[in-house]
Amino acid sequence: MYDYRNSLNYWSMWIYVIATVFALLLPVFYIIYISFNEHGFGSPLYEFTWDWYRVMFDNTQINDSLKWTAALGVTAVVTAVPMGLLAAKLYKRTRRKVALVMLMLSPLFVPSDILGSALLVYFKNLNRASESLGEALGVDWFNGWFELGFTTALIGQILWTVPYAFIVILITMSRYRDVQTEAARTCGATAWKAFWLVEFPQIRVGVFAACAFVFILAFNEYTRTALLKGGFDTFTTVLVSHMLNTGMSEDSYAMASLVSALSMVIIGAVLVYSLTRVERLEREARATVAPAGAIVGSSG
Amino acid sequence: MREGDNLPSRAEGRRWRLFGEDGPSRYVFYLPAAFMVVFLAIPIALTLVWSFFERTDFWMKPGFTLFAYELFFTSARAENFAFAMYHSAIAVVISFIIGFPVAVFVRRRVPEVVQHRVILLFILPFMISEIIRIFALRPVLGRYGLVNSFLMDIGIISEPISAMLFTPVGVIIGEVMSFLPFMVFSGFLAMEAVQRYIFEVCDDLGAGTARTFRHIILPLAAPGIFAGSVFIFVNGLGVGFIPNILGGPGAVNAGSIVFEAIATIDFPLAMAVSAIMIVTLVALLYIGHRIFDLTRLLQPIS
Repeated sequence: MYDYRNSLNYWSMWIYVIATVFALLLPVFYIIYISFNEHGFGSPLYEFTWDWYRVMFDNTQINDSLKWTAALGVTAVVTAVPMGLLAAKLYKRTRRKVALVMLMLSPLFVPSDILGSALLVYFKNLNRASESLGEALGVDWFNGWFELGFTTALIGQILWTVPYAFIVILITMSRYRDVQTEAARTCGATAWKAFWLVEFPQIRVGVFAACAFVFILAFNEYTRTALLKGGFDTFTTVLVSHMLNTGMSEDSYAMASLVSALSMVIIGAVLVYSLTRVERLEREARATVAPAGAIVGSSG
Repeated sequence: MREGDNLPSRAEGRRWRLFGEDGPSRYVFYLPAAFMVVFLAIPIALTLVWSFFERTDFWMKPGFTLFAYELFFTSARAENFAFAMYHSAIAVVISFIIGFPVAVFVRRRVPEVVQHRVILLFILPFMISEIIRIFALRPVLGRYGLVNSFLMDIGIISEPISAMLFTPVGVIIGEVMSFLPFMVFSGFLAMEAVQRYIFEVCDDLGAGTARTFRHIILPLAAPGIFAGSVFIFVNGLGVGFIPNILGGPGAVNAGSIVFEAIATIDFPLAMAVSAIMIVTLVALLYIGHRIFDLTRLLQPIS
């Protein structure tokens, strides 16, 4: 085991932590590197080119799939993030905290293929039931309610992303003191005003981080979308069919690289912004509650 | 209404209006939970029922038959499932060996103000599409891949190693690369509940890292280790594209059996395999909760 009192071990552990993150990212860095090689993977020659990205953007199927994926991601954000927020607010109020957390986080524990196939059969059954009901009543209004398509794929995405939105917002909310809402209410603010003008500004970072997480997770998800999407293609389903049908072609590397780089940039920006903001808030809070000498004393 | 709570009171919400003059009714706050019940709990529960249905040409019909289970247990699928359990268990052990020291080190020695930042670094790989990360392992682990080229360049090997891809080893590597962050997150969550002064006391009393680990860290972090392990084990068993992409033609797990059954329109078989997975998951969580009390993990956010 490591003896952290030994400074060599201490710094070795730092290197180990960074190396672990790097190792997890290494395959993605490598495909980004390959995607810029004119001769593709396995060639002893390396000549830089943008050609594979051009090939990718000239492909109509990929462009269409990018539009569908973006639509799915945005819709997931506008549905899953408010749901995460409502669930986090309920968590603060309810006495059944454990049951609520278990319920909200349970989609994380059900593997994608299992949940996707259960939902697929569920929707098929619901569709049959609603059509039978329509037939019995002699109306066609019930037809197609649960037919596989955008809505069913969205439901799959919400199930996948709500746990993350919930936990991110809940962690941000745990720093908020309810007494501030109480003060606002005592001063005559409505519940909406107290939330919007007092609470929301303080949990805003968490909500925006949740938006970024949900968008990226929805954009990148494969199995549930593939099972529940119906007729349209998303970026990951096109990517997988490319890779399985034509093998690892150079434009596949370009596709994978582009999305990975975008994910890293967006999440990296959110992390840097939220962490620097937290630091600034903590510094301001310390400056407000303690005289300058005490701060110097405590930091020393 | 509880002090400091800005949700409308029970009396205000009793009228079943979702939105009143003074903000949303309390029922609005239950919508996400209701969504989870309707689109998660009910389909999962029904999976157990559908697994006993009879197969028809393109669908299934109500009835009670054990045919799907019989089909599963009397074919190579059961053997493959058992093998997938074995490699998932190995992935859990490797993830623990690699990931848990990160959680311990960060909680024990990294200054408290930067602890979360270090753990958040693991969000970065996690947020990249899982399927892209798995595909990206092919050019890394293959015969002419990055690892082999590097090892040959520095002279450690003279012939490329072919056991890393399209073998069970490839599947285990894929599972570890995919799910390692969960061991770090859940391990750290459990370690957060351990006050830092405990480590200082251990240091002052002269306990080495190994003794502190065995007598203090392991018992206190057990719920987190268990939760992370269940996550890795169940997903290793259930995420079908990992063996499909990295394991070669013969490698399957529960996820890929389900996917294949859906593709061949054998819905009762897909539901039976799903049911076995769900029962395994629930049993593991129940046993873990009885032994480790998993609610201790919620301490940092309560």
